[in-house]
Amino acid sequence: MIRFSNVTKVYGKDTVALERLNLEIDAGEFVFLVGASGSGKSTMVRLILKEMEPSAGAIFVNGTRLSSVPRRRIPRLRRDIGCVFQDFKLLPNKTAAENVAYAMEVTGQRRRVIQTKVPQILDLVGLSGKMDKFPEMLSGGEQQRVSIARAFVSQPPILVADEPTGNLDPNTSVGIMQLLHRINRTGTTVVVATHDREMVDVMRKRVVALEEGRIVRDKVKGAYADEV
Amino acid sequence: MRFNLGFFLSEAFKNIRLNLLMSITAVTTTFICILVFGVGLLVSSHVEGIIGSVREDVSVEVFMPGRGEEEVMALEEKANGWEEVASVDRISEEQALAAFKDTFREQPELYENLDRGVLPPSLQIQLTDPDMADEVAGKLKAEGFTEENLSYPQQTIQRLNSVTSYMIWGLYAATVLFLIASVLLISNAIRLSIFARRKEIEVMKLVGASDSFVRTPFVLEGLIQGLLGAGLAALTVVWLNFLFVDWSQEALTFVPISGTSVSTASVLLVLVVVGVAIGVGGSFLSVTRFLRKI
Ligand SMILES: Nc1ncnc2c1ncn2[C@@H]1O[C@H](COP(=O)(O)OP(=O)(O)OP(=O)(O)O)[C@@H](O)[C@H]1O
Ligand SMILES: [Mg+2]
Repeated sequence: MIRFSNVTKVYGKDTVALERLNLEIDAGEFVFLVGASGSGKSTMVRLILKEMEPSAGAIFVNGTRLSSVPRRRIPRLRRDIGCVFQDFKLLPNKTAAENVAYAMEVTGQRRRVIQTKVPQILDLVGLSGKMDKFPEMLSGGEQQRVSIARAFVSQPPILVADEPTGNLDPNTSVGIMQLLHRINRTGTTVVVATHDREMVDVMRKRVVALEEGRIVRDKVKGAYADEV
Repeated sequence: MRFNLGFFLSEAFKNIRLNLLMSITAVTTTFICILVFGVGLLVSSHVEGIIGSVREDVSVEVFMPGRGEEEVMALEEKANGWEEVASVDRISEEQALAAFKDTFREQPELYENLDRGVLPPSLQIQLTDPDMADEVAGKLKAEGFTEENLSYPQQTIQRLNSVTSYMIWGLYAATVLFLIASVLLISNAIRLSIFARRKEIEVMKLVGASDSFVRTPFVLEGLIQGLLGAGLAALTVVWLNFLFVDWSQEALTFVPISGTSVSTASVLLVLVVVGVAIGVGGSFLSVTRFLRKI
């Protein structure tokens, strides 16, 4: 589903963020990317979204080589990848429901479809009572659930999350992780970059550990740190 | 993909409402720019109108002191046959005196002792083309008249032509320069409002919006703002024109200013089209340039 093949990313002249990295993620997998600050997790997420190009190597998403996707095709690519960020990235002038609806409007969905689908998905993330609230009137956990609803509303085959619990307290984080887990069970491939040691340890999913742009550990039912 | 005009329009109106201050700035900038542009157009058209009527007025007058009625009529007939001549008016001694009295009716002492015959009969020859005054004067001289018998403003016309063509070109150049400045000002206002929303645009792109999907509400916004600013400016320009024509007909009776030298409909059309084009083009280019960078 996602494949990194010998990927190197150098920022500026000599900041090496990723070095000859190889990684294969299959359809339906749930994968944690862990590692110290600056180890290259966000860089991998941004490469998957084609926010930038690798300095060397190739990235394949859904069988497509990203370097062969022209600029005007990027929107289509992104509709196949739901994305969730630490800072939620909600549109401030739109309500929870409008934020979710926007992700459907961009794909040209019919109004009727949008009007039935949006309440359903907000119900799923437990926000049916706050559909008409603006982001600034929602707590961090609620905002993150809106952004997950938005990422998932079109049921994309892939969902990537960069520190989705980074700004949230432990209890709220559990709720978010459960949500991501449920999404994964519908068959969506989920990639989560995180610092959240507890969460990783509880979930017992595949863990890919990065250190200075290299994969130092890749374990199927792993934990945040090496187990003794 | 379906083009959802309802969605884009409601987005555009929402953006205008949420960024009211920016919108007012853009509308005001458009209003001022189009207003000045419109006033420039007004001044140019009136100056052109005045010049046109002054030039149309050009005639050659030939005074025929001591000539009898038949001679005058013979020359009138002859002049009527020249191709440069549009029409000929014959002014008898009596008519000349009457006209003189009328002109100086406030100072009757001037014509009290005036004898018949002091004011000679004359022909007023209207030309088809004011530049032909020299030719006609030449022909009249061939008929035995001297420079003193003739009155034709050839030199005046030439001077008028060169001065006014400089003036008109200057006005046009100033108007065009101002239009360019307006485009820069307005597109800068639009660019600022887009820059203020750059985070939103980035998010839109991240959730899979195409460039045109992001751009369309901005372009509609530019269209609405351009329409509003330019529409108000155009109406103001037309209103100013009415005021000016009204006032000039009382205060500047000697200047041939005419209400018909400016066509209200075309002024409205030109100004609104220019304003809308700047609004639409400006927002299109600004958003496109911004989208390229992310
Ligand atoms: N836009 C950028 N320009 C220059 N250097 C960058 C840029 N983004 C990241 N880097 C550098 O690349 C390296 C990897 O950064 P990255 O953001 O991928 O780390 P991360 O694992 O996500 O860290 P964190 O856990 O703190 O989010 C770091 O050394 C960082 O300083
Ligand atoms: Mg990061």
